[in-house]
Amino acid sequence: MTAPDSSGVDTLVVTDLSSVPDEPPPEILYRHRVRFIESLRVLWAHREIVYTLAERDFRAQYKQATLGILWAVLSPVAMLVVFVIVFSRVKSFGSQGVPFALYSFVGILCWSYFATALGSGGNSLLTNKALLAKTQFPRECFPLETMLVGGLNTVMSWVPLALLFVIFGRAPALSTLWVPVFMLIEVAFAAGITLAVSSVIIQMRDLVQVLPLIISLGLFATPVIWPYSKIPTTFHIAGGHHVHKAIVDGHVVAAHWVGGVTVNLQLIYGFLNPLGPVIDNARRTMLLGHSPNWELVGVGALGAFVYLVVGYRIFKRFEVSFADIA
Amino acid sequence: MPTLPDGTIQVEQVWKKFRADRTAPKFYDQMKRVGKSIATTGRHDYRWVLKDVNLEVPPGGTLALIGINGSGKTTLLKIISQVTYQSAGRCNVQGRIGALLGVTSGIQPELSGRENVFLYGAVLGMGRSIIKERFDEIVEFAGLADAIDRQVKFYSMGMQMRLGFSIAAFLEPDVLLVDEVLSVGDASFQQKCLNRIGEIVRQGTTLLYVSHDLASVEASCERAAWLANAVIQASGPTKEVVSRYRAAVEENAALATSSEGVVQVLKVDIAAADGGQVRSEADLDICLTLDAPEAYDANFFIGVSQGTAFPMFIVRHSGSFPAGEFEVRCRLRHVPLGKGRYSLWPAMSGHLRGKGKPLLPWRPVTSFDVMGPDLPKLPDGVMVLSPVYVGADWQVN
Repeated sequence: MTAPDSSGVDTLVVTDLSSVPDEPPPEILYRHRVRFIESLRVLWAHREIVYTLAERDFRAQYKQATLGILWAVLSPVAMLVVFVIVFSRVKSFGSQGVPFALYSFVGILCWSYFATALGSGGNSLLTNKALLAKTQFPRECFPLETMLVGGLNTVMSWVPLALLFVIFGRAPALSTLWVPVFMLIEVAFAAGITLAVSSVIIQMRDLVQVLPLIISLGLFATPVIWPYSKIPTTFHIAGGHHVHKAIVDGHVVAAHWVGGVTVNLQLIYGFLNPLGPVIDNARRTMLLGHSPNWELVGVGALGAFVYLVVGYRIFKRFEVSFADIA
Repeated sequence: MPTLPDGTIQVEQVWKKFRADRTAPKFYDQMKRVGKSIATTGRHDYRWVLKDVNLEVPPGGTLALIGINGSGKTTLLKIISQVTYQSAGRCNVQGRIGALLGVTSGIQPELSGRENVFLYGAVLGMGRSIIKERFDEIVEFAGLADAIDRQVKFYSMGMQMRLGFSIAAFLEPDVLLVDEVLSVGDASFQQKCLNRIGEIVRQGTTLLYVSHDLASVEASCERAAWLANAVIQASGPTKEVVSRYRAAVEENAALATSSEGVVQVLKVDIAAADGGQVRSEADLDICLTLDAPEAYDANFFIGVSQGTAFPMFIVRHSGSFPAGEFEVRCRLRHVPLGKGRYSLWPAMSGHLRGKGKPLLPWRPVTSFDVMGPDLPKLPDGVMVLSPVYVGADWQVN
């Protein structure tokens, strides 16, 4: 085999062992620089890998099942049946005149995407150890790929939602067309959280056990089976004075605060947990036919964006050690 | 910084450290470490697995990394393929990298062979259309035409390796990294792989090759670097580096087989029969002085090796050996050795096998140099197990 070396290179070089220092000189220490735009560009160049890995997972899911890909639709339908049976006996609360099964199913759909994305995405670096330690491409492909699979499965679950509409003899309102916007917010939020969690989980395996617990707690902290309107729009923090009874516009108003600092808790909550605005607006538009609450949507979108940027940063910050500890 | 041509590998002063304890960290230990890191400004226990490594391979060049287990070869490959990051220094690789680190690295057991071709191709940075184009070639090379639609978990190890190698070798990367994967394949497939490697190197791919099989190293690489104790001990033309490595391995082998036999070797003399230097195809006199506690009926062996624990040839003598000090003389006729340094391995085994200590354990006792012609350079991609020298008269009519 020819080696087009420059002359003189091809001589034996024996290292003088005494010339090798014990520690590298500090000026050559490797610093992992994260350039945001550059990382995104590289990620985009590797999008094929995300698709292929997602395809792998999607196929592998149903590979040796006799019913194969049919399960993708069957399992959400099975979930729906359980759902209708259980919720036909539960007294509805605050579902604004919409059948409670339908009302909460929309919430569950939105929630379950987030839950599966975080649940499998958070562990994705661990489940892909073999690839992680042996191949080179942007590491964020793994969490994103599992999120894509979760997305595919979620899309399948919209089929039983359609069935549910038929069962209750209703049609989704025209304003349903806004739903993709909310989904985008949800995906951004889920991506941010998943990236951060997956990069931490690989270093602290204890979290593998804790994560499902946190996710199931999250279900109750999110307006999935309770309405968003339960969160007060006015919440008093400090100052002002408390009156027990006042007459405003000729109406008697019960105990409340006058003056001082009052905040809109719905907006704060919407920023911290963008799933709130997402679910609330999905219901507003799809079930009630209202136009979206843009204030909430805006706050949710802003929150999701912040989560995404911070989560991505955390991920890139930690990625240096992934292959060594996988 | 000027852009280098595709296929260039540049490793400058690369250092890599691993945390000292790779075991599962217990909560208490974690806490102790946190406490310590606060007290000593963030210095953890660690060890260096690579120290001050410098390498440069031009496009189309071939470099082998040799060294014993745990000397840092794979870590270096991982840094070059950007799977992991160096702790210090600079590593610059231009062009697309095809890395075969471990047999089943990118192979997914749940998927079929066909799906794996596309997945692994994508992992190696290949577009779907290119893979489609080369699909038939890949399958044919791997010899898996019948099995390609079967799930890979039903493949044998060798079949998985064949699939992995074929994908990497046919997607024509600018840099091909191969880490000790060929040894899984059977002999004829190994030869096929070496031929294929030679082919893509001639097409201009840069090769970085890790193997313990020195014969295949010599067959496929122009240059070599020998890693030991985290440091590159020597680098340069494969032949010279490999012979240095072999000498070190032999030294180790002599030290490692410390189990003493019943019979002691007191003295070894090696000389040419005609009194001059030991030459290729000349006769060689070996004289061993030994000491035995009692008389034995035994087989006496003398082997000659170069750089491995496996002898190139062995001679044997059966007979009676006296008690006390005695001499064993042996004349090797027409020694078929080329120029180089060789090790002498004596051994003695009684007719009663498997009873306690061997009379004289199999290990190298001394080395000797042979003068003579160099062995001929091998054709590309061909490896020889025991390079012996055979004089030949040629005629072309």
